Amino acid sequence: MLEKMFNPDSVAVIGASRKEGKVGRAVLDNLMQNSKLKIIPINPKSDEILGLPCYHNILDVPESIKVDLAIIVVPAKLVPGSIDECGQAGVKNIIIISAGFKEAGIEGARLERECIALCEKYGIKLIGPNCLGIIDTASGLNASFAPNMAYKGNIAMMSQSGAICSVTLDWAERIGVGFSKFISLGNKAVLSENDFLQLFENDSSTAVIAAYLEGVKEGPEFIKIAERVSHSKPIVVVKSGRTAVGSKAVSSHTGTLAGSDAAYNAAFKQSGVLRADSIEEMLDYSRAFSVCPLPKGRNIAIITNAGGLGILAADACYYAGLTIASFEEKTVERLREKLPPAANFYDPVDVLGDASPDLYEYALDVVQDDANVDGILLLVSPQSTTDVPGIAEKIATTIKGSKKPILCNFAGGTRIALGEDILSKHGIPNYSSAERAVASMDALCTYYKIKNHKRGDPEEMPADREYARSFIESASKNKRRVHGLESMDILKAYDIPVVDARVAKDLHEAVEAAEDMGYPVVMKILSPDISHKSDVGGIRLNLKHADEVERAYNSMMSDVRHYMPDAIITGVQLQKMMSGGKEVIIGMDRDPQFGPLLMFGLGGTYVEFLKDVSFAVAPVTREEAKHMVSSIKTYPLIAGVRGEAASDIDSIIQTLLKVSQLVTDFPEILEFEINPLMVMPEGQGCVAMDIRFTLNLNE
Amino acid sequence: MASIMISSSEEFSGKSSLCMGLGKIFKENGLKIGYMKPVGNILIDVDGSLTDEDSEGIKNLLGIDDPAKYVTPIHLTDSLIDDALRGVEKDLEMRLSDAYSEISKDKDVVFVEGTGWIGGGSLYGLSDPDVASKLGIPMLLVARFNSVSAVDRILCDVRIIGDKAKLSGIVLNEVPQSMEDRVTEIIVPFLERKGIKVFGVIYEDHTLRSVFISEIVEDLHAEVLVAPDKLDQLVEHYLVGAMEASSAIKYIRRQPNSAVITGGDRADIQMAAIDSKVKCLILSGNMRPSGAVLASAEEAGIPVILARGDTMNTIERVEKLIGHAHIKQQVKIDRITELLKNHLDIPAIAEEMGVKLKE
Repeated sequence: MLEKMFNPDSVAVIGASRKEGKVGRAVLDNLMQNSKLKIIPINPKSDEILGLPCYHNILDVPESIKVDLAIIVVPAKLVPGSIDECGQAGVKNIIIISAGFKEAGIEGARLERECIALCEKYGIKLIGPNCLGIIDTASGLNASFAPNMAYKGNIAMMSQSGAICSVTLDWAERIGVGFSKFISLGNKAVLSENDFLQLFENDSSTAVIAAYLEGVKEGPEFIKIAERVSHSKPIVVVKSGRTAVGSKAVSSHTGTLAGSDAAYNAAFKQSGVLRADSIEEMLDYSRAFSVCPLPKGRNIAIITNAGGLGILAADACYYAGLTIASFEEKTVERLREKLPPAANFYDPVDVLGDASPDLYEYALDVVQDDANVDGILLLVSPQSTTDVPGIAEKIATTIKGSKKPILCNFAGGTRIALGEDILSKHGIPNYSSAERAVASMDALCTYYKIKNHKRGDPEEMPADREYARSFIESASKNKRRVHGLESMDILKAYDIPVVDARVAKDLHEAVEAAEDMGYPVVMKILSPDISHKSDVGGIRLNLKHADEVERAYNSMMSDVRHYMPDAIITGVQLQKMMSGGKEVIIGMDRDPQFGPLLMFGLGGTYVEFLKDVSFAVAPVTREEAKHMVSSIKTYPLIAGVRGEAASDIDSIIQTLLKVSQLVTDFPEILEFEINPLMVMPEGQGCVAMDIRFTLNLNE
Repeated sequence: MASIMISSSEEFSGKSSLCMGLGKIFKENGLKIGYMKPVGNILIDVDGSLTDEDSEGIKNLLGIDDPAKYVTPIHLTDSLIDDALRGVEKDLEMRLSDAYSEISKDKDVVFVEGTGWIGGGSLYGLSDPDVASKLGIPMLLVARFNSVSAVDRILCDVRIIGDKAKLSGIVLNEVPQSMEDRVTEIIVPFLERKGIKVFGVIYEDHTLRSVFISEIVEDLHAEVLVAPDKLDQLVEHYLVGAMEASSAIKYIRRQPNSAVITGGDRADIQMAAIDSKVKCLILSGNMRPSGAVLASAEEAGIPVILARGDTMNTIERVEKLIGHAHIKQQVKIDRITELLKNHLDIPAIAEEMGVKLKE
């Protein structure tokens, strides 16, 4: 797939130009860097450009020349015509660099749809429009108008922003990072990140995949592909538009609805994608993956010639969840043999300020032999007696031959520059701070786990789908979108325990129901218009006898009518009062990109304020459900603190799996929430006390 | 010739709709229909002379060619009120009865529509019961019913009518579907026990409450940026997108048949609305959205209209439109007739008026 896109024998440039400063010229110049490539300029006004024979139309190119790839740089309105001609000429790969498509407005979007239709008609693979182009260092192709050609390397990069392509290329050139392939995605009219993930997966010159994305096109497909690819190659993604203001900018820029950041986090986590917060971090991680073997655990050794740097690194390790290794006895002994007595022989190892290149090398050799060490941070400060270039030169060979990852932090500016250059020459990254090195080490450790972890398939939960289906169908018929308490029965179809409850239309029925159920009871208002019942006085707890039920009923009606005079009240619901449990929430929001995003959190009044919740894209595996429960900060409160009995966590997990099944089975459910789910002590299960969900009745 | 005055407890209760629907049904029965709204309160200029918007509409819909000066002989102007307050005699009664006798000529049935609410016009002696008694015709009261307090209003209205005119009966209008049981089982029997004939109960209807996008465009003097061919759709609700996008999605999803009002710079809300396939996007403050957003709206076939006013002003206008939309479109007219046929005891109304309908 896409072989001839990235390794063509002949490339046509539609809109080629000899004029300096024109994109049509820049593309030609870049292509001409590869002398083996047959380049065919197309321009209706020229017969020759830069010494190359120029054709007026792609259809004029003699049949003896098979055009593998066409790069289109003509104005947007001419592009569909050019694609049509390419199609007739049998060209199967096209890059549209021209802008003026969907990003520009209605007319542009129309042109883009035309392009897509033509590509479908002729079976053309298309990159762009509105992009910088592509670079393949293995084949020597620079089909872009980028001012820099990438160095050869094993990092494949794709970017939804052309400008960020330029930024990354320029930066990479400065710090000596090489790429295997470099792709500017543009508007992703036909080919998108999902296609390229698969391309990189099978690309022998690629070892690391990096991406800058503003959104993904097909969320569920992305998860599936990324999950598979991440087992063979690390995927590092910067996804912008994390905040409300950022996502507003994404919407304005791309005309897409930015999904929630929580959904991206969850999807990335579930599919083994490592998220970087900035381009700098993306390059940091990618460079580590590019050269380092993977650590088999999270035990880190620090070697430093300055105590302060070592402490900073140790702190950073702690925050990243990395462990400072406990050395084997022989390691300490061997260090003692050669290091000065004032040195520190335990982790962090301090070789002292005047340590020679040889001593650094010795310490590094000893530490990397230690079975308790999974990765090493090598820190160098430029003290007066420090031979920075010497150290760099000495350790470079060791690092390249090591079976463990060794990340360097030559800290400083002018005096470490030479050392940094030497490392760079050897293809070894230098991190400007211990924190950056630690973050990358953490990425390596995390990826080791991802690579060796099998996600498994979500288990199918038994359910009475017929019942749920008929429930939803009848709601559709009645045009009822928003459902609450009165629709608790849908939970029964998925075998989710529901609190014993009765519906009463008036006071008389309410008292009768309470007497029948036994006290104490809870009374809740039933109204399709009221979502926050407690805000309008629509919940009364712990009613112990008929008198209390009557008073509660009357005062509740009065309250509700006062706060929401227009609300339609269909009656009240009486529930058995539950005690001795803990309240949790299980929810779902259908994300525009990834679909059903499950949410779990501790219930109660503070939940909205604390935002201590976990997310995962449904359908979830049992392991993911478990992780959802255990990853909230307040987990100890459910697990039992200070002698308190543990809650029935298994029943929460079970309910999460059932809800996951329900919202997967019925895409009509747009939002769903069991709030609260009352969790009883271990072994005693849980019960749904209230629900709310919204159905999509558009269809 | 039979005649009836249609009055209501409050404004915007459905008098015009009832006149129009009943008129249409009686006309289908081969009867010659007349219509009057003696006191015009929504004044418009038609071909150089003032008339009432409702009466002009109904006149056209029922194909009545009586001159406007007889259909609506009196106009509720400031000077009419000032004169009444100062005690200046205007001979209103004479104008009323002259017009009525002109309208009644060669008619089998005349529907007389009240003005505003039942007591309105008392200060110049032409409240609905005043008019009914002067013309010697019975009254039909239409009352919106959204809570039990409507019963209070109805009982009060019956007192106002008192001995002045005869109340034939009432129609309960815009009753929430959820109150069906309560209304039919408790409220109607109660009213009947009080000697008030209930001709029927009409439930809230989405089509009638809604407003065409084209009406919004017209009212806001807005510019249509996208999908000018999709303005013939009905909008039932409006939502204001001023919150964070994540919350906006929830609100919009719960009511996707809405028009979403938001600022031109809120690309996040705009995309949330487009993604939820709302009926239309109203951008306030004359701020054009980004090209990419417009392109997405066009792909989804969602009209985007640009209003000049600020958000608050736009909300106020749209709020006024929805729920109080004037009946101009055939869809709504057909819907009204259908509702009346299904839910009103038309033969009983005819009988009260002394008219015989063919079956």
